[in-house]
Amino acid sequence: MFEARLAGDRLQLIGRLDASQVEAAREAMNRLNASSIIDFGELEYISSAGLGMLLGIQKRLMESGGTLKLINMNRHIREIFRMAGFDRIFVIE
Amino acid sequence: MEKSFERDFRSLGDIFAFTGVFVEVHGFDESLRYAVNLVVEELFTNMVKYNTGGGHPIEIRMSVRDGRLRIELIDDDVDPWDPAEAPEVILDQPVEERKAGGLGLYLVRSIVDELTYEYKNRQMKVTAIKNLERQNV
Repeated sequence: MFEARLAGDRLQLIGRLDASQVEAAREAMNRLNASSIIDFGELEYISSAGLGMLLGIQKRLMESGGTLKLINMNRHIREIFRMAGFDRIFVIE
Repeated sequence: MEKSFERDFRSLGDIFAFTGVFVEVHGFDESLRYAVNLVVEELFTNMVKYNTGGGHPIEIRMSVRDGRLRIELIDDDVDPWDPAEAPEVILDQPVEERKAGGLGLYLVRSIVDELTYEYKNRQMKVTAIKNLERQNV
């Protein structure tokens, strides 16, 4: 199960973001056009497919001076971001 | 435990149900549960994306012996593919230059202790072994 809920400049991710759910996540994130917050509080799992998609969104926003801030990650997802070096690419709080 | 899955990303739901039973039976904690799911997903989706010529389901085998977790994925009747050709992941690249390619295999190699690919008689078999005393996710 995966769901993305957009409210203003904040996108909440819920469930499991695996390779079969990346297109649904991308569709939601393509609606972000300026600096935004992504709330990982209810996201249980992410794989490289989700990381790659986030990288693409971050690059697109940076071209127009924006950025993504990622909040409320569980410790497992935070560790995956660290392993991938993505803690150097995103603001994580 | 072993089971075959259609070579489609949409099989991931069934695959996670399968790994869920396995981790429950072996009493794995959340960290190991995450590691198992990630390793299986990354290896499975790489086979779906890069193993050409195959139309058969992909078999997943998992076992624990002597404190070591063994995960095997077997893909029959496929063309050879060299995982060494996967793009290199450079962690300290500026964001503008970072690419997503190769990231899945990089994460798997970071999590497991051994990763081997075998190709024989048009069958590709990948084996990942993880020492259960070393937790890293």
